[in-house]
Amino acid sequence: MGTELNRVTVESELGAPGAKKPLISIRNLTVYFDLGRQRRQTKQNGAGKQKHTADGWLKDFVVDIGLALIAVIIIVISRGWLSGWLWVVVNGVVIALLLTFALYRRRGARETVKAVDGVSLDIFPGETLGLVGESGCGKSTLGRAIVRLTNPTSGQVLFRDRDLAHLSKRQMREHRRHLQIIFQDPYASLNPRMTVGEIVREPLDTFRLARGKQVHQRVQDLMETVGLSKRFIKRYPHEFSGGQRQRIGIARALAVEPDFIVADEPISALDVSIQAQILNLLGKLQRQKNLTYLFISHDLRAVRHAANRVAVMYLGKIVEVANSSAIYDNPLMPYTKALISAVPVPDPAVEATRQRMVLDGDVPSPINPPAGCRFHTRCSYAIEVCKTVVPPLVEIKPNHFAACIRISPEQPQIESVAPGEAPGLEAASGLIL
Amino acid sequence: MSTRNGNLLEVKDLRTYFHTDDGTVKAVDGVSFNLRRGETLGIVGESGSGKSVTNLSIIRLIQNPPGEIVSGEVHFDGKDILRLTEEEVRKVRGRRIAMIFQDPMTSLNPFMKISRQLMEMTQLHLGHSKSQAYAHAIEMLDTVGIPEARRRVDDYPHEFSGGMRQRVMIAMALSCEPELLIADEPSTALDVTIQAQILELIKTLKAKTGTSVILITHDLGVVAGMTDHLLVMYAGKIFEQAPTRELFAAPANPYTKGLLRSVPDPTAEPGMLYQISGLPPDVAHLPEGCPFAPRCERAEEICRKEFPPFVAVTHDHHSLCHFATEVYAQSLGEKSSANLKGGLLKVKKWGLS
Repeated sequence: MGTELNRVTVESELGAPGAKKPLISIRNLTVYFDLGRQRRQTKQNGAGKQKHTADGWLKDFVVDIGLALIAVIIIVISRGWLSGWLWVVVNGVVIALLLTFALYRRRGARETVKAVDGVSLDIFPGETLGLVGESGCGKSTLGRAIVRLTNPTSGQVLFRDRDLAHLSKRQMREHRRHLQIIFQDPYASLNPRMTVGEIVREPLDTFRLARGKQVHQRVQDLMETVGLSKRFIKRYPHEFSGGQRQRIGIARALAVEPDFIVADEPISALDVSIQAQILNLLGKLQRQKNLTYLFISHDLRAVRHAANRVAVMYLGKIVEVANSSAIYDNPLMPYTKALISAVPVPDPAVEATRQRMVLDGDVPSPINPPAGCRFHTRCSYAIEVCKTVVPPLVEIKPNHFAACIRISPEQPQIESVAPGEAPGLEAASGLIL
Repeated sequence: MSTRNGNLLEVKDLRTYFHTDDGTVKAVDGVSFNLRRGETLGIVGESGSGKSVTNLSIIRLIQNPPGEIVSGEVHFDGKDILRLTEEEVRKVRGRRIAMIFQDPMTSLNPFMKISRQLMEMTQLHLGHSKSQAYAHAIEMLDTVGIPEARRRVDDYPHEFSGGMRQRVMIAMALSCEPELLIADEPSTALDVTIQAQILELIKTLKAKTGTSVILITHDLGVVAGMTDHLLVMYAGKIFEQAPTRELFAAPANPYTKGLLRSVPDPTAEPGMLYQISGLPPDVAHLPEGCPFAPRCERAEEICRKEFPPFVAVTHDHHSLCHFATEVYAQSLGEKSSANLKGGLLKVKKWGLS
């Protein structure tokens, strides 16, 4: 635990613009999903090297104790019914069956997906932090873990000096008022049997924020805020277009006057001309209500426009954090470079001259992520050490953090680092201790 | 081999209507365009603009009822596809015109091995024997960059990732060396890095085989680097038609202009983004006059009353707008002033070494 606390103090400056106190501090957050026992070997990553996790071992142990108890109970009860050799035979069969069952469960190793693996981040009041990465990198899970729609496996989410990750359900409910989430799919996230008025009103009732006539007034105000006509109050979600539905989702999130909103791919399902409308609406609301956003998206152009700072995620880890202009103009970590160069630019003149850095292959499976730097399997700059050393997030330039052992504050540009050298290796070993 | 003027495909006044309970939806309403051999045509539009239906009509994949190709001509290599018998169409479809769809999971048969799905194509169209077809399948997978093609060819679709599946789709589409490849949102369901791979692949294969391509997408960034000509569709009609560079440099239609401006500009300072107000139209109940008029900044009285003309601002640049020439002149003016600093800045910022 001691090292854990040390790390918190070490990293409390993470990405701090000035000395402002962060609204939300995430420390070493991990979210593992237990997939149960592995049935057959996966093809990716050459597999078969799974380990028993502590959690899985405990579950097995509990089940074993349970089986042993059942055996004892059967033995004791049947003692009164049967006698002599019949008792011995019956119990022999029972024990053999239970043993077979216990061993049957043991075959194959447990599989866990490390969706979020030791993430530390600060989110400052009034800012928009963009979170980008390919599908399956854990960005949505991270967003959901912050508002506790997914329970974190370990780590902390500090919000107003409380650790959200370890609150009970009842305690968490009080805090939910301050933390809201907008979902990607406006078609699936609204109850089709409720009218728009009821949908927007529900959080007001849940948190008893308005009473009697006030409720109706509040609902109307909220709809107006997000640009929906009051006439729509009695309509059902299916009568609206995607963009309008997203507005309903935003109105509902705003009903409880939150401080922080996780926007999980809020514009991905929308048409181009509607995307701009929703982005502008989110921007306007942020200025009016001093909101803080975690803006999750795979659309790097939208993130660049909407976010002040950007965090890049790869296979459960944050690999780069910086101001959005720095990330886009001068990315340091090779993955970020590739990601940004993959974005098509809507300008034929630029596209014709631009050299694209195309990554080979797919994102490896998060079930057995590669050892060392998780990006080394696709990285053209990877050297032997990258396969073993997990790169820490290091402040390469002021407020610009990157996780790559081949760069260091002295040599920030990976292109100019001598082949085979890893100037960041010292920092890595210093942190691991 | 080719038609009168080097065009592989000539579409004339194509109209595809869907008869629904809600009235007749004119999904494609008077679309005409030409595609030259070896050229790439991009079709851009929002959902419901008729871009996919246009292409489904070209290969006669419109379900009837409710859909009906009401009128028009689709000359492919001199023959009108719309007048062919079902039997004849089947010989063209897949063999000479191939298609890639958006969602590679739903367009591959989950119960069939990849090898069988690939072999089916060449056995049917090219008359390959089983062993020939199998060898060809491996060769095609190799061409589209699937590692260890020999081992993966007997896998099932679910064993491939999204990007890999799209590669399989491309392999399948190209296995009979079609003259025209229609790619309907080929990269939309994929991650950016995989999207870049797939687009790069289509580009190189196109250069190698000389196939003509129709690329349907809603992403202006994708068409910018891939296409020679562009069609912008809205409410079933072609709103603007021009060479790609020309269209990006000097749009002559307020809708195109709005679309271009509403893409977040990575080089601009964050702030308000240009937005086209309002909602995409309900194609079953289009307003009188210009369908874009209710959302258009430039709209005047005439736009709400009369359907706009298809104006030729230059010999190969057309726009469906009452004020096309004006908008075009304005775009030209804006471009020349912003060109120098904007263009250079973008190259510097986005072109990574």
